[in-house]
Amino acid sequence: MSNRHLPVGTRDEFGPRAIRKENLIQIMSRHFIDAGFDRVKTPLLEYRDVFQPLTVTGEQPYQMLDDAGETVVMRPDLTLPLARLLSTTNIQPPVHWWYVGDIFRVRKSLSGTYNQITQAGIELIGYASLKAEWACLSEAIRICDDLKVADLTLELSDARFVPQVLQTLALDPVTKAALKKAFFTKNLSDYERLTEPLAANALYPFLKQWPWLFGPAESVFEQLKQLLPPAFVREQVARLQTTVDFLRDQFSNLTVTLDLTSQPPQSYYTGIFFHAYVPNRREYLFSGGRYDRLMASFQRDLLPAVGLAFDVDALTDTVQEPTASPQTFVYGLPSQWQETAAVVATSPNARLCLVDSLAEAQVLAKSSHARLIDLSPKEATL
Amino acid sequence: MTLTIALAKGRTAAQVLPLLSATGINCTALQEKNRRLLFTDDPDFHFVLVKAPDVLTYLNRGTVDIGIVGSDILEEQGHQQFDMLDLRTGRCRFILASTPDFDPHQTNRKRIATKYPHIAQRYFQDQGEDVEMIKIEGSVELAPLTGMADAIVDITETGTTLRENHLKAFATLTPVSTHLVVNRLALKQKKPTIYQLIQALQRVRPQEV
Repeated sequence: MSNRHLPVGTRDEFGPRAIRKENLIQIMSRHFIDAGFDRVKTPLLEYRDVFQPLTVTGEQPYQMLDDAGETVVMRPDLTLPLARLLSTTNIQPPVHWWYVGDIFRVRKSLSGTYNQITQAGIELIGYASLKAEWACLSEAIRICDDLKVADLTLELSDARFVPQVLQTLALDPVTKAALKKAFFTKNLSDYERLTEPLAANALYPFLKQWPWLFGPAESVFEQLKQLLPPAFVREQVARLQTTVDFLRDQFSNLTVTLDLTSQPPQSYYTGIFFHAYVPNRREYLFSGGRYDRLMASFQRDLLPAVGLAFDVDALTDTVQEPTASPQTFVYGLPSQWQETAAVVATSPNARLCLVDSLAEAQVLAKSSHARLIDLSPKEATL
Repeated sequence: MTLTIALAKGRTAAQVLPLLSATGINCTALQEKNRRLLFTDDPDFHFVLVKAPDVLTYLNRGTVDIGIVGSDILEEQGHQQFDMLDLRTGRCRFILASTPDFDPHQTNRKRIATKYPHIAQRYFQDQGEDVEMIKIEGSVELAPLTGMADAIVDITETGTTLRENHLKAFATLTPVSTHLVVNRLALKQKKPTIYQLIQALQRVRPQEV
């Protein structure tokens, strides 16, 4: 019976959703090309070691052996293959790359999730300037604007913030690791127990509020001002503030939030990272950030890099369904082939009606709830 | 802003509802004995009553914002959501138990029966021991009594069931209690409401023992 079933976590794509998804990809591609990004495409199969830096808790790659007995995987990520490509060729940075493709992650079985996810994204490799973050964010926000994504919230974080705060706390390494874990998992019970002995520390008022230090940018900046000494983590806060100001200036309708409690998505993130979401949907529409340690596992000098990826499936399920024109069938005699094809080409949502008689065409149109355009001469239908 | 909460049915719900009531949430409909599963009467708090193992499924899918479930389920299933608060109800513990003649230092590879194979596996891994796991869905105590397994890893509150079945606890693994778990993105989207709920629950939950 397995020839009649899909493997767990996969799906066929067809109908209006498939059309919508394809349209989104075309719109995104056009944006990336117009902004001067070059298309890059890497194989579906890679050696498992390419993804060694990738930590995705609770998810595994599909893996198999190649003819030499080496383990290959269906790519669970699209950024690391680009680092592999750059580190093994003579391509000179900086590069502006865009990509679209599917990634594969084996998630918890029978949980209602899919293991094949479409991503589209950009990578700017070779730029240390904050302008690279701004360029990525601007592209992504413009795409969301174009797709009429309503009530977009952009959340900014900094990968260096949490380690810098933890570094200043006089705790033994084991306690510090436990505190970091409790903090990132927001286990308030453990966090409070572990921070209680620091009550005499000047940072204690901040530590008490820290797990809740996320929300509208202004309010988080205000809390930081009240809770932290002015010089503390000044550089990170300044970069965030400049970025918030830039976004406010460029995109007046955008909601910008800060999260100074967030764990970076991967260990190679080194600066600002971000996620975007809309109310009432529980997936991020796009995510990304600065990862200057991206090349670390490819035996090549580190290169500054910023990138982001859209979850195309989440975006497809978020954007409004456009009002579709009614389905139209166009029927004509074989001798009218060109005329019939021309009508199909100029009518919205139309297709050729490939049956041999008008009677059949009428039956098909009726059963498909479609409009029928009959181009056949009247005498021929009698 | 409405918060949707998945609450594990049965004993967990019975022990948590007084806490929720004490925070000012109207739980009257939930406390009535009937077969209703979805409670949307209160515009601020919607509840779904589900079996404990399904709480995380609802939470991971984002169908609900908050899950209230035992830490046994959280540990066994594993998850990526925020396990924010120990509500300090439903307290019990995982134990390794067997018949009194069981030798924890036996040289043969042990056969361990349990409803919680991941928790049991982690325990024996920490002990540096490889064991054969047998997954049992209920009445785990039967396994050593019938000779199907050498010992069991299970939850006990008072030890009464163990004693009634002439079993003895040989080791305590981890404590278990009811936790409040929050969907990662819901926390950002509904921070003020979730913050208030957690602050209120911190005030009314039982003292630490």
